Amino acid sequence: MEEHLVNHDTTIGGEAEDLNEERSASESESESDEDVKLTEPSKTAVYNRDALLDKLGDISWPENVVWIHTLSIDIDQEQEVDVNDDLTRELAFYNQAFEGTKQAYQKLQSLGLPFLRPPDYYAEMVKTDNHMQKVKGRVLAEKRKMEEAEERRKAREAKRLAKEIQAQKMKERAKQKKQDIESVKKWRKQRQQSGFADHGNDADLGFDFEDGKSFERSKGKRPGVSPGDRSGGKGKQAFGKGKTQKKREFRNSKFGFGGRKGMKKQNTADTTYDVKGFNKGEGKGNKKRKR
Amino acid sequence: MGKKRKHSETAAVAVPKKDEAAPERPARTLLGWKDKSEVNGDDSQVKDVELDDSPIFRNKEKVLVTCSRRINFRYRHLMLNVVSLLPHCKKDNKVESMESKGATLNELVELKNCSSCLFFECRKGKDLYLWMAKCPNGPSVKFLVSAVHTMEELKLTGNHLKGSRPILTFSTNFEKDAHWRLLKEMLLQIFETPKDHRKAKPFHDHVFVFSIADDHIWFRNYQIDVPHNETDKLPRGGLEQMNLVEVGPRFCLNPIKIFGGSFGGPTLYANPLYVSPNQVRALEKRKKSGKYAKKIKAKTRRKMHEMSNPLEPDEFADTWKE
Repeated sequence: MEEHLVNHDTTIGGEAEDLNEERSASESESESDEDVKLTEPSKTAVYNRDALLDKLGDISWPENVVWIHTLSIDIDQEQEVDVNDDLTRELAFYNQAFEGTKQAYQKLQSLGLPFLRPPDYYAEMVKTDNHMQKVKGRVLAEKRKMEEAEERRKAREAKRLAKEIQAQKMKERAKQKKQDIESVKKWRKQRQQSGFADHGNDADLGFDFEDGKSFERSKGKRPGVSPGDRSGGKGKQAFGKGKTQKKREFRNSKFGFGGRKGMKKQNTADTTYDVKGFNKGEGKGNKKRKR
Repeated sequence: MGKKRKHSETAAVAVPKKDEAAPERPARTLLGWKDKSEVNGDDSQVKDVELDDSPIFRNKEKVLVTCSRRINFRYRHLMLNVVSLLPHCKKDNKVESMESKGATLNELVELKNCSSCLFFECRKGKDLYLWMAKCPNGPSVKFLVSAVHTMEELKLTGNHLKGSRPILTFSTNFEKDAHWRLLKEMLLQIFETPKDHRKAKPFHDHVFVFSIADDHIWFRNYQIDVPHNETDKLPRGGLEQMNLVEVGPRFCLNPIKIFGGSFGGPTLYANPLYVSPNQVRALEKRKKSGKYAKKIKAKTRRKMHEMSNPLEPDEFADTWKE
């Protein structure tokens, strides 16, 4: 809003010039003197200095008015304020207010009268509490937003770092592997050249770890896992976490994501005998109806 | 009959006035010493008046604040903010913005016993003009108000006591010209809460800024936030820890004209650089207009150009015709 309004001044000048160019080709020059106003002052403007000063004399307070009546302070503006630069302009105003307050407070202090609000003085404020609540909320929200952004930025940074480290590790591992394979090959060749000094079989078997898979667990079904269990028996492992937790785990293993559903939803011999799920309170209801 | 009496009166007054010129003239007061001395006539009383007036100056400013009909909400809120900043003001009903509004306003001011007036006039629902007038016979100024921010905006986080007297700060370039000096005096009188006003609170916790930049008067209102324990003196180094928080409202006044009377009278000053917002809009519109005419003109120009320099006959035109 502010920018827009301030910028008016500059745009006016520019537009006026453009317009002049356009119109000079086509038509009337009668209006051309109207829109030059900002670049050079119009001649019809009135400036009656004597009358102004006379009026000033008429309305002004007497010269010797005590300062406490006016409470006004003049502050020198160091340099011309660039109006279109919001930040410097506001800073100039702030500085003016700051300097003025400083001087005024010194004067007030020298007068020896109470001028600062005591902490237990409660009175109506310009803005209501309700409004101030809103202001506070906004400030807090802004703060939170900033914090969140900061956190997100940090997380991203950390991720990037982790990725780099991971890449480094992978590279190292690959290098190590290559080195190992290389050494093994070398060793084999050496052995071949030396004409198989020892029995050949056990040597080949000894290096199963080359591909590094011998230590990994197989992903096949484990023994002792029921046919309906998708978690591979993990649901049953969760002991000591409370009843609901257990139940949840079981349900997850039964109904959760992944795997084929077809077999699991059918009854088996076990489930038909299982009466755990039946409503125990049913008998009660019947009783009620009888009464 | 009446005329005759008047003549005699003036003659009577004229005689003591000559004597009066010899002693020092009393300092001017707010209510104007001219009338008083003329009415009273003799020297002794004038001296009494002087003795009474100069030490005991009482600011009895009252400001009437109104607005025109069809004002939009933003400007109305600005007006309400100003009302909340001035405990010595009286708010009145909206006034129809007509040719004769000056007379109406003067009457209103008279009725309300006010000595000055702030009139927010909204035109076309988008342009805000502010009339600032000293009422019975003072000057009046018409401003164009721009860059309006009301107190309701959540960005302005400060708050201060309602009715505490503000500290006014003026930039020194108010002294550089006659009309600025007049404006400064008017701003001072209108915006300063009178001392010991019954609605004023006895502490000072906010500061107004009036600053001239780019030939506009900019207004700011800051809360003074200073750590203190006592009411009549600052702790050591307290001034360094002081900081200001903006309360609002913000606005920017562009003086258009200064008139001799209240809401009328001879023009004493007219801003030579002023362009009315209507003109600005007209310019913008005019810039956009004439699209069709331009197109037609371009077409004819092109045609003329083609006619004046025709293409040379192509030497290879009939190479493939055999």
